[in-house]
This record gives sequence, structure tokens and C-alpha cells, in this order.
Amino acid sequence: MKGVKNFSIHRRNHNLLQILLSGMIILLILFVLNILLLPVKNFFFYISAPIQKIVWSSSKSSSVFLGSFLNSASIFQENENLKKENQSLLSQIAVFKSIEKGSLAQDSVLSACQNSGFEFVMAGVIGLNDDDILTINKGSDDGISEEMPVINQQNALAGKILKVYKNFSKVMLISNKNSVVNVKVQQSDVLAPEIDGVIKGSGGLSAYLDLIPVNNNINLNDVLVTSSIDKSSPKDVLVAKITQIKKDDQKPFQQAQVNLFFDVKTADNLFVITNYKKE
Amino acid sequence: MSWKNAIFTIVLFYIFVLLQNSFFPNFNLLGAIPDLIFIYFFTLAFFSSKEANYSIIFYALIAGFFSDLYSLSYFGPSIILMIIIGLTLKKVQLLLKNKGDNYPFSYFISLFIAFWFIYVSLLGLYFHFFNFNIIFQLIYNTITAVVFFFSYKSFQKSRK
Repeated sequence: MKGVKNFSIHRRNHNLLQILLSGMIILLILFVLNILLLPVKNFFFYISAPIQKIVWSSSKSSSVFLGSFLNSASIFQENENLKKENQSLLSQIAVFKSIEKGSLAQDSVLSACQNSGFEFVMAGVIGLNDDDILTINKGSDDGISEEMPVINQQNALAGKILKVYKNFSKVMLISNKNSVVNVKVQQSDVLAPEIDGVIKGSGGLSAYLDLIPVNNNINLNDVLVTSSIDKSSPKDVLVAKITQIKKDDQKPFQQAQVNLFFDVKTADNLFVITNYKKE
Repeated sequence: MSWKNAIFTIVLFYIFVLLQNSFFPNFNLLGAIPDLIFIYFFTLAFFSSKEANYSIIFYALIAGFFSDLYSLSYFGPSIILMIIIGLTLKKVQLLLKNKGDNYPFSYFISLFIAFWFIYVSLLGLYFHFFNFNIIFQLIYNTITAVVFFFSYKSFQKSRK
């Protein structure tokens, strides 16, 4: 009987020792991994980047191909919308041309000058996670540092640099839940008072417009660009288009659903503005 | 677990992390992307024998490592959570006795949904539980988990 009891105590002690030992080994592994956090992450990104780039490009083209089958019904409607939009844009061009001829052109030129002269680093997209954080294949070795604004080829704001590794960076998209960007409603009448608001990320690659005073008049398809209030990115960079307005007279501010100009599915390369200085 | 199995598991986890980060974002469901790492880890843990605690810890270390690798966090949160989830899953499976099949689909799917919610909420990624995105995440992850379940089962049958 005594022998059985001793055996049971021994066994319990042995199990306890095993658990303690396993716990200590796991903690030791975690400790070592976290000491080497940046080199380990950079190493894996470095060896994975070529494969990721290929996978990203091939999945993008297959999704476009598949999407064309699935959305064939909506393509006709989309084409009609694009025609209308094109007409609207042509009329806007006409307005801008007339502005250019007039004395008010100075403002427009000044605005264009502010956006020119920036230095860019072109980076390829190699990954995205479900927190709306992109991975690009350029890092501190290429002159990228945190908080730098990121745009796409169409001059639409994608987000800002959140974390930089030696050869890679993480970009927080404007659709990320922690992202807030000051914007203004682009108006064809340059004399009209500026309507300012903020674009807040809601996750899932979507965002919404908020903090527009209820007495300001905004319309569907209004274009939103970064405002001069926003110090994290250059002004007049395309951000989104209004798709649905939520107005409640009981509330001081109105909100709106927006369609972001930056689309992950069309993003092959992004441009990091490396010499933008916050004022 | 043989070293061949261990290497095979590591390679598969690596492939899944690449697919999760570079392939599935282009096939997102309203922004939702399936968490292949968690799904594969859960499938492995679910089909592990009841005494295979060390195998589960090994799977959790590899799965957690790859999860944390592509996140912004330090190494640790996913590893520790997956160890806890894996070991708890085995305890729950011991309590859920079943006469015929040891690994029935009904247990798999209900336990998967429960543990996925625990994993996601404990990781602190979703403070707003009732947003629509989490519903799509759940749907997408569950569908993928079903695919993994039947693929793993057929793979096991073919090996026998």
C-alpha cells in the first residue's frame, strides 16, 4: 500500500516537473524569439517576398478573371455608371479650364506645386492581413520610416507606414479601424466654403465619412480629398467618393458611406512619399 | 511524431501563412480573410490522439510562430493562446464521449466556432463584437474549416 502511494506521489511529481520544464522551455523560446524579433521577421519576409509577390499577382489576376464571371450582370450597370461619371468629369474639366484661364488659377497652381517635388519610393505589395495592414517589399534600407504617407499610381491615399523593418514595411490602410484622416469635400466652385470632415476606417477594407456639420450640404458622388488640416499626408490627395449619406437633424454631425479610391485588388505597386514634412 | 511529420507540418504551416497573406486577400469576403493557420492548427489538434499533448504544443508553437510573424505584435500571444486552446480542446473532447466515430463532424464544427470566438476575442483584435465584418469572418473561416475537416479525413483514410 505504501509502495503504491509512493509511486503515485512520484508520478504526480514527475508530471509536475514535466509541465514546469515544458513551460520553461516555451518561455525560453519566446524570450529568444523576442530578442531577435526584428531580424527574425525581416529574414522571413526576405525569403518569402519573391514567392509572395508571385502569389499576390497570380491571385489578383485570377480574382479579376473570376470576378468578371460572377459580376457579369453588374458590369453593364457599371458601364452605364462609368459613362455618366465620365460625362460629369468632362464637365468638371471644363470648369477647371475656365478657372485656369482666370485669376483664380493661382490657387490651383499653388496647390499643384505643393504636391509636386515629392520624392517617392516605389514598393510592391506582397501581403495583406485582416486588420487592413499591407506588407510592402521596401524598408528602412530604402529610406522608409514610420508615419510616411503612401499613395497609389492614381494619386489616391492608401495609408501610412506603421512599422518598418530592414527590407519590409507594414502600411496601415485608411480602412484600418485605428485610421483617421482629415478630408474636405472637393467642390467645383472654388469660392464655396470648404467642407471638412474625417474619414474613419471601419475595417474590412471599408471606411466612412464623419464629423461633417449637419448644416453643410454634401451630395452623392462628391469627391473627398485630404485637407490641409491633415498633417500626416499632403493636401488634395484623392481619398474617397460619397455613396450614401446618413443625416439626422437631431445630431450635430452627419455621416456618409464612402467608396475608397484605393482598391487593394488593383494595387500592385504603391508609392511612399519619403520627403513629406509635417508642418 | 517522426521528424518527417514535423518537417511536413512546418512546411504546410508556412505555405498556409503565405496563402493567407498573399492569396486570400484578393478573394476576401467583404474584407474577411480565412485564418488558415488557426484552422489547420485546430484540425490537427482535433484529430490528435488524447495523449498527444506534446504534439499539440509543437503544433501550437509552429502555428503561433507563423501567426505572430505576420502580425504587428511580439512573438507570444498567438503561441500561448494556441497552446491553451489546443490543450483545452483535448480536455473537452475527453468529456464529449461518442460511441461510433471518435471525431464527428458535429463536434468539430461546434467546437471550432466556440474556440475561434475565444481566440479572436482574446487576441484583442475585435473590440467591437457586433460589427458585420466579424460575421463574414466567422462564415468564411467556418466554410474553410469544413473543407479542412473533410480533406484531413480523406487524407487519413487514404493513408490507411
